[in-house]
Amino acid sequence: MVDQLPNLGREAEMLSAMGMSSIEELFADIPAEVRMTGALPLPPPQSEEEILADARRLLGSNVALGERVSFLGAGLYRNYVPASVFQLVNRGEFLTAYTPYQPEVSQGMLQAMWEFQTLISELVGLPVANLSLYDGSTAAAEALTCCVRVHNRKATQKDTVYVSELTPPDRLSVMYNYCQGADITIKLLRHHSDGTLDLDAVSEAVGSCGVYVEQPNPLGILDGGLSQLKAILGKTTALIVAVQPVSLGLVEAPGHYGADIVVGEGQPLGSPITGGGPIYGIFACSKDYLRLMPGRIVGRSIDVDGKVAYCLTLSTREQHIRRHRATSNICTNETLIALMGAMHMALLGPEGLHALAVRNMTACILAKQKLSQVENINLPHSNSHHFNEFVIELPGSSKDCLAHLDAVGIVGGFDLSAWYPERTNWILATFTDQNNANQIELLVSHLALWASSQGVNA
Amino acid sequence: MSNLFEHNGAKGQGYSQPAPVLPESSISLPASLTRKALPRWPRLSEPEMVRHYTWLSKRNFGIDTGFYPLGSCTMKHNPRVNEVIAQIPGIADIHPHQPEHHIQGLLAIFHEMQYMLEVCSGMDQVTLQPVAGAQGEFTAVRCVQEYFRQRGETQRTKVIVPDSAHGTNPASAAMCGFEIVEIPSRTDGRIDLDALRAVADETTAVMMITNPNTLGLFEPDIVEASAIIHGVGGQMYYDGANFNAILGITSPGLMGFDAVHFNLHKTFSQPHGGGGPGSGPIGVRSHLAEFLPGPLVKKRPPIGNESQMVIDDMWYGWYQPTHSIGKVQQWHGNAGAIIRCWAYYRRYGSGLRTMSEHAVLNANYLRHAIHKATKAAGVDSMVRDGAEAKVTKHEFTLSLAPAKEMYGISAMDVAKGLLDMGYMAPTVYFPLVVPECMMIEPTETESKETLDEFATHFAEVLQIDAETLHAAPTTTPVRRVDEVYAARNLCLRHPYDDE
Repeated sequence: MVDQLPNLGREAEMLSAMGMSSIEELFADIPAEVRMTGALPLPPPQSEEEILADARRLLGSNVALGERVSFLGAGLYRNYVPASVFQLVNRGEFLTAYTPYQPEVSQGMLQAMWEFQTLISELVGLPVANLSLYDGSTAAAEALTCCVRVHNRKATQKDTVYVSELTPPDRLSVMYNYCQGADITIKLLRHHSDGTLDLDAVSEAVGSCGVYVEQPNPLGILDGGLSQLKAILGKTTALIVAVQPVSLGLVEAPGHYGADIVVGEGQPLGSPITGGGPIYGIFACSKDYLRLMPGRIVGRSIDVDGKVAYCLTLSTREQHIRRHRATSNICTNETLIALMGAMHMALLGPEGLHALAVRNMTACILAKQKLSQVENINLPHSNSHHFNEFVIELPGSSKDCLAHLDAVGIVGGFDLSAWYPERTNWILATFTDQNNANQIELLVSHLALWASSQGVNA
Repeated sequence: MSNLFEHNGAKGQGYSQPAPVLPESSISLPASLTRKALPRWPRLSEPEMVRHYTWLSKRNFGIDTGFYPLGSCTMKHNPRVNEVIAQIPGIADIHPHQPEHHIQGLLAIFHEMQYMLEVCSGMDQVTLQPVAGAQGEFTAVRCVQEYFRQRGETQRTKVIVPDSAHGTNPASAAMCGFEIVEIPSRTDGRIDLDALRAVADETTAVMMITNPNTLGLFEPDIVEASAIIHGVGGQMYYDGANFNAILGITSPGLMGFDAVHFNLHKTFSQPHGGGGPGSGPIGVRSHLAEFLPGPLVKKRPPIGNESQMVIDDMWYGWYQPTHSIGKVQQWHGNAGAIIRCWAYYRRYGSGLRTMSEHAVLNANYLRHAIHKATKAAGVDSMVRDGAEAKVTKHEFTLSLAPAKEMYGISAMDVAKGLLDMGYMAPTVYFPLVVPECMMIEPTETESKETLDEFATHFAEVLQIDAETLHAAPTTTPVRRVDEVYAARNLCLRHPYDDE
């Protein structure tokens, strides 16, 4: 406590300068009836050393994925964040700044964010990107409300959007919460049994305000059919595509096949998983959505001397100006994590991104090759292309299988019954740049062992 | 080079990567899926990248650079051990889908944070899921909305906010579909109970209010305001942006609130990082608890072999509230920010009240020092208090309306003049109810000397002639930025040569 309060012990001196004699006088305006009586029932103050020791004890008891062999992804991905990113992001000038309301002394972060906008814009193939939303789910939810603002007037299915039925329930739940206040109906889009989108069903969405799909989709499938969606939907229905950003080192950028809005979890670029936050949500769009989009945007301008200078722009969309008519209530975003993303992207360069994507996809291909030879397990979507994860169908319950693998130090993947309750024997296994051939071999042999002990064919 | 995109060296990478586990030729994507041209990202070596971002950082002002009295934003010092703690693999390398037995330590910290926020706020249940203050507002209003729907009180379509409220309040309520009713503040900046009585009726769902209010003043009539809203069956919502002023002294629970959000990054400490991340947990009274977004953390004695995996003899597990509104962020909130705020609160523990006392002491001292300094310099007629009050809480407002009238010097001019003195400028033009407003929040982590110096420099700025101040700042990396030009000549990304 002492080390954080420079004026501890100087209270009397400061009070007397104001003609006061006690701290209590500063709180004289708080009525007695609302006063707290007694001390807060909390532990006594701790020193830095004690706090750090306790943090190490408590957090040290967790199983960090790096201590195990991990194949858990399902939306967030273990990655390698270069050392320089951590070093630079901890520079106090970045770390301890607030939103750049005074551009003259915030040029560093403003320029870094303008560069971030460019990096994201190039990555997804759309001209406009904001400074980040909270995560992929809130970016997706804001994309839905945004497309209704833009298209509702001409829509024949008013206040209606369509979302892939595969969308994980936790993400869908965020969408429902964001949409319900604006009376937006979310309808689901059917998929074929091979996990690809039913393009015939998409025609039902014509005349609605927007369609939301993911590439790769939640089953890990790269769905070639998505490139035909814009032609089916036409100009007055927004195509919203969520991406895994690293995949775009190999896979076509949605902006190049007609996507109007691209969203996604930015985390694999620049950020550790950190229990799911803080991470950052990507939001990019075409110019038609610019003035009704959520979030902060930096523009390049000039100062009074004509020198290049950056500032926040189009703020009249935002809550601090427009209040209840704002396009979103967002104020705090995830700028610092977006900055880590920008640094990682800058270090990767185009070829580095491609190499990173290749590392993911080849790990996935190797795992697929090996697992397809294991008796008793089935890869239901083996004819599809996958970026870095796919479904394994087991001869017994996923829960048992994952517990078995856990006991031998393997985090085997994600139990898909959490998303699709009827799929009690599906796991989503993820293979990234952080998995080497030995790890994949280890998973394959332990899965084979477990599967053979189940005795029944899948 | 000053622009990242001017770096376009040889094909290569700013950091080397291991070889893939199979050759690239093993990939056979069909043309419809294959990317034709890679993003036109720059090409930098590590030394170039480090120099670029170091150069940018030097063109940015943070708390570490100097005094940052940005009202409403609580720019206090961020203890560095928090950053060390946030890098421990037991948080940095944790996936939210890991099973409970992998994350007992993390859940124990979450539980402790829920409890700490509950006892500080007088609420019965806290969720840590919302990731920003505005999202906390949205979440709490959503919970109240579901509560009323379940009671069949669907006629409650209005949310009342004072005209001095943060913009996020009406924006969050509007996102939930409510009609916003704004009530005027009294001339002293406080709630007008008559105006409140005039609009409160059976269509009122929620009143959203911050206390201390955005002028830094405690609302002495808060209990009466709560009674008015509860009298018509509505709910009271506490915007916790200013909670740092009253910790351990009073609580939203004691004031009659039903729901509250915390700006953990302000009240405790998570570096704001140029605009985020933050963390916006909410707390509610028991009648709203089962509507919260899930999962929450609950503890119980261990069962069976759990006892081999416990820390502190208790088992920590996820709990899904029965009428939960669902999720507002897909994962478990900004866990990394929650950990930092846990480390911060542990520094004070039962002594959190001292933190608030010093925040308020510093604000009042600075207000006094500014008046003293402007008087000594003979410029006291240029500035007046934004609202009459003997004491303020953690922040205060000044009005530069007299300076504007007398010399054409605006609050913005003074703000820019302060930049030249080496300070971050206070918040300007908010709250809207104070003309030419300047809102100043020193926080508890500034020394008396810093406050004295700032007061002196503030008075010095007021002595500068109008013409010079209109041209300020002159010592910053760039001078006054043309925001109108930025909006009229939109340039939102690097213009490549062929564009």
